[in-house]
Amino acid sequence: MKIITFIRHHFLFCLGMLMFLILLFFTFFGEYLPGIDRDLKEIEYIWTDKKIPLAPPFEPSEDYLLGTDRDGRDLLSLIVMGAKETLLIIISITIIRYLIAIPLAFLAHKKSLGIHHLVSWMNGFLSYIPSIILVILLVTLPPILTSETRLLYLIIVLAALEVGRVAEMFRLEFSQIASKEFVTGGNSIGVSNFRLFRKYLLPFLYGKLLISLVGDIGKVTFLLGQIGFLGIFITQVFVQVDAGQFAFFNTSLAWPMLLLNSYNDIRSAIWIPFFPALAMTYVIFTFNILSQGIQKLAK
Amino acid sequence: MGWDFLKSSFVFVLIVLGFILLLLAPRIMTVHNLGGYYTPKTEMSYKENIQAFIHDFQTDGFGENRYGTRVLDELKVFIKRDLMIVIPSFLLSILGGIFLGIVQFQFRESPFGKIQAFFSWIFSSVPDFFFYIAMQYALIKLFYVGLPQFNLYGSDKWYSFILPMIAVTLYPMLHMSKYTFTSLENEVGQDYLRTAYAKGLRTLGVLKHLIWNCLSSLLNQTQFVMLYILTSLFIIEKLSNYFGAGYHLYGTMINNEDPRTLAFILPYLLIMFATIILTKICRRWLVPQRSGEAR
Repeated sequence: MKIITFIRHHFLFCLGMLMFLILLFFTFFGEYLPGIDRDLKEIEYIWTDKKIPLAPPFEPSEDYLLGTDRDGRDLLSLIVMGAKETLLIIISITIIRYLIAIPLAFLAHKKSLGIHHLVSWMNGFLSYIPSIILVILLVTLPPILTSETRLLYLIIVLAALEVGRVAEMFRLEFSQIASKEFVTGGNSIGVSNFRLFRKYLLPFLYGKLLISLVGDIGKVTFLLGQIGFLGIFITQVFVQVDAGQFAFFNTSLAWPMLLLNSYNDIRSAIWIPFFPALAMTYVIFTFNILSQGIQKLAK
Repeated sequence: MGWDFLKSSFVFVLIVLGFILLLLAPRIMTVHNLGGYYTPKTEMSYKENIQAFIHDFQTDGFGENRYGTRVLDELKVFIKRDLMIVIPSFLLSILGGIFLGIVQFQFRESPFGKIQAFFSWIFSSVPDFFFYIAMQYALIKLFYVGLPQFNLYGSDKWYSFILPMIAVTLYPMLHMSKYTFTSLENEVGQDYLRTAYAKGLRTLGVLKHLIWNCLSSLLNQTQFVMLYILTSLFIIEKLSNYFGAGYHLYGTMINNEDPRTLAFILPYLLIMFATIILTKICRRWLVPQRSGEAR
């Protein structure tokens, strides 16, 4: 009975949790499910009823629930197999962003090292220029483009880009808490800045931190989707194929990779970009609902 | 006001300069043979790149594209197409959003309002690219069933701008509606509302009071709405084959056509600047300067 009342009171939280668990289940155990092709077998063609060879991509049908991509790989299997990598990228971007932003927010609050100017300039710049354009300009810089750890750089660029927004948000929170009496008390007995940060300010922000972190996961997924459509994601490695010739090779199964060719796919095989985009929308939904649910739970 | 304007212009110039510096970071690579190893290396240093850019700009302005058309001439055509989407989308986002917010506020207790809140929340979680693809997928399926066919892609039909516009408008409009709803709800319980009701004002009259008082915070959102529209436009134009400046911008950036990139991004920045200035002017004309001065 208690459980039912809890569910009724915190419906959004429970729904978000349920969606999250489903996501986790497919991420970690999806590959063992029947109907999932773990080897991602490529099909060159299939024979139609009239004995005509038909080349992929194939439309969604009974054999291929979500259709296949241009190499004839089952799209459902691709999405399930790529989930782990995609979630890992999304979550690491978000966590790196917060790890940088929180100390910056504190420094900006203390107005030390000119960090508050830096934060306000970053925000000013980003309120003029779409962040996606900056991502393109930064990621196509040669040191990043040719690096073997390109994915790592991409994650850092994506994380660092919106650090200003998060830092500004938490700077305001810090200033609000800092006006409380116990902080004045702490200051008057001479606690160090680090202790002030760790023991006086931060504990009051854990709730807010969790809510905005979970909400940001949705935002990062959105940005990743946009990048995928533009075809600059990515975990490609820059490899020398022949003397003096270089080419990009795909090494990853992450969802944005499936959107890479969407410009052509959208006119012929629209299911190829549609289902990965749907999967990303599911992730965005899950984390948005969860963030709202936690917010209501905290009240 | 004059001082404010000067300050905004100064910030604008700084942002354009910052963007140019970022743009001119050396990108063009050639492959060098270093004793058997072939390594890609940038052609020019940062300084040389900047000098070359300044020199080119002084002699040839924004230059020509690959096919010999002046960049500024092609830009004129593209910008016209962009504005066909941006202006209606902006107006629709702001006005439609405020309207939806008011409706939701007015019916917040009734089932209708709750349903509206639910849907506006659902749709604001849908990313624009997915919404656009889903819309196209649905239309293609509908064509099979018997919907009269029309052109889904391109920019050469008079109605071409409508589909991208819907995709671009969705999120900013819902954001505006949510924001309006929240700021209206914050006003509930204020004394002036009680007075207005006590004097026997009808719902519409009270709403008018409310709107005037919220206007200041609503105007704060214009910059965000415009930025969102432009970001979204960049992706949606690519997906819909709509040949605006946004569509070509990505290609110019990837192909390292620096002056052309600058020419294509400048209108975006100018639109943002115009939005900021217009908002400031609107605020001056419309918003009561001190509390209690509201109409």
